[in-house]
Amino acid sequence: MMQQTSLQMAPPAMATDATSAKVSIRRLNFHYGSFHALRDINLDLREREVTAFIGASGSGKSTLLRVLNRIYDLYPGQRAEGEVLLDGQNILSPRQDPNLLRARVGMVFQKPTPFPMTIHDNIAFGIKLYERLGRTELEARVEQALRDAALWDEVKDKLQQSGLSLSGGQQQRLCIARAIATRPAVLLLDEPTSALDPISTAKCEELIDQLKDRYTIAIVTHNMQQATRISDWTAFMHLGELVEFGDTEQVFTRPRESRTEDYVTGRFG
Amino acid sequence: MADLIIAEPAATLSRAGRYQRQDRYFQWLTGGFALFVLLLLGGIVLSILDGAWPALRQFGFGFLVTETWNPVTEKFGALAPIFGTLVTSIIAMLVGVPLGFGIALFLTERCPPVLKRPLGIAVELLAGIPSIIYGIWGLFVLAPFLQHHVQPFLIDTLGELPWIGALFQGPPYGIGVLTAGLILGIMVLPFITAITRDVFDTVPPLLRESAYGLGCTTWEVVWNVVLPYTRAGVVGGIMLGLGRALGETMAVTFVIGNAHRISGSLLAPGTTISAAIANEFTEATGDLYTSSLIALGLLLFVITFGVLTAARLMLRHLERRRGA
Repeated sequence: MMQQTSLQMAPPAMATDATSAKVSIRRLNFHYGSFHALRDINLDLREREVTAFIGASGSGKSTLLRVLNRIYDLYPGQRAEGEVLLDGQNILSPRQDPNLLRARVGMVFQKPTPFPMTIHDNIAFGIKLYERLGRTELEARVEQALRDAALWDEVKDKLQQSGLSLSGGQQQRLCIARAIATRPAVLLLDEPTSALDPISTAKCEELIDQLKDRYTIAIVTHNMQQATRISDWTAFMHLGELVEFGDTEQVFTRPRESRTEDYVTGRFG
Repeated sequence: MADLIIAEPAATLSRAGRYQRQDRYFQWLTGGFALFVLLLLGGIVLSILDGAWPALRQFGFGFLVTETWNPVTEKFGALAPIFGTLVTSIIAMLVGVPLGFGIALFLTERCPPVLKRPLGIAVELLAGIPSIIYGIWGLFVLAPFLQHHVQPFLIDTLGELPWIGALFQGPPYGIGVLTAGLILGIMVLPFITAITRDVFDTVPPLLRESAYGLGCTTWEVVWNVVLPYTRAGVVGGIMLGLGRALGETMAVTFVIGNAHRISGSLLAPGTTISAAIANEFTEATGDLYTSSLIALGLLLFVITFGVLTAARLMLRHLERRRGA
């Protein structure tokens, strides 16, 4: 429990075991009311690697992501069964405080969602929720987050302007900066580039590639080229089931399942 | 076939001409309606000014700062009603705004779905109760209750404190400024609740989830994201409630005690602009008396207008500070 609440700790620089599981999903079932949305999912997210979730709309990939920070908790009638272990702790346990969990598992959504405040405050807000920092330290953290999100050069002269004044691509990178400013253990990206133009998309992908040195990343995407470009592991989902999970290159070039092959070659979906 | 080809452009032209004419008529018609509002407003202002003129000429600026209201000697001053109007409205806001916010927050953020509709309907029903019923209930139920159970307690506890103790002095009459303010608070509650609930519902779910996703508690989401996002609407709801509190007549007249007197104590009877007018217009003999009542009406108009303008300016200031 101590380990879970110590948010100040940055992710360690090097892992001892590069392929250890950061998140382990075991026998996960999910229901929206009476609708059975996820069926018996078993899956590991490896530390400091990118796992892509692909599949048609309604396959449950976003739902799976929403289990990992328990954001579904906000809605009555949605419930998850099974186990999701983050560093060995079951986050679905009622003893897990969802707010503390969400501070460790950052999320970026389909559309940019800057808060109605200045660019600076958009970043500082999340940091200040869980940390008491001096002014200089806070400014340094804001700058670092914006640099990490490759946004600093574009906004450094207008930190006091509204986050809403940025372009769509910049807003999305602001949201990524906001998510990493709190130094989460895991980063969830739910179709982060679906509302962006190709140049902004390229910037975001480059960013994800850099971030995986420090974060365990799960990304939902409809863009299969994107999955091949940025992910180490790929999970193909269909109608709430995990059809295939493996090395990205293997899933796209030598899929074991015919359904996976049909999807990745564009025959359905 | 050839006929048709030649005929078509002509037909199209004539149709276009007819549409243009229709559009023009329509613009005149709707523009006329809009103009009518301006004329109406102007007419009301002018006739109030005209009616208030004798009193304003007689008393001048002193009308605003004089407490005396004596029909026998024909000395009239508006300070007591102005004071009563502002104090009751402030009490109403102190009661209505936090309660209304709390209810709206519960309804939008926390409420189990089964309760959401019944509660919402109950709030809207509260808005539908005629003010005379609030008045009668205030006089026969709330005032005696306050007199016997609440006001003695206030006098014994808060009344003993330095500074704010002055607000709770004197005998517990039941009726008075505090009771009127509480009734007003209940009356503005549904307006504030309904509007803030509706604007809270306009916050995009993704924005809300982003805030929760950072590890915010409900309160942090509401304070830092929901309220800033809905600021204009929330201020609008509060102003609508304040407008009602300033102008509400019937319920206040029942419970305020109708005394043209300024007292430091909230428990003492007082009056408001609208209560004074409603109470006295039938017995206003003499032109100066009538004119003074109309001048009170003018003041209420000015106060309400001033409050709305201040709200607009405040909003604009906030928008600019946000750097949008």
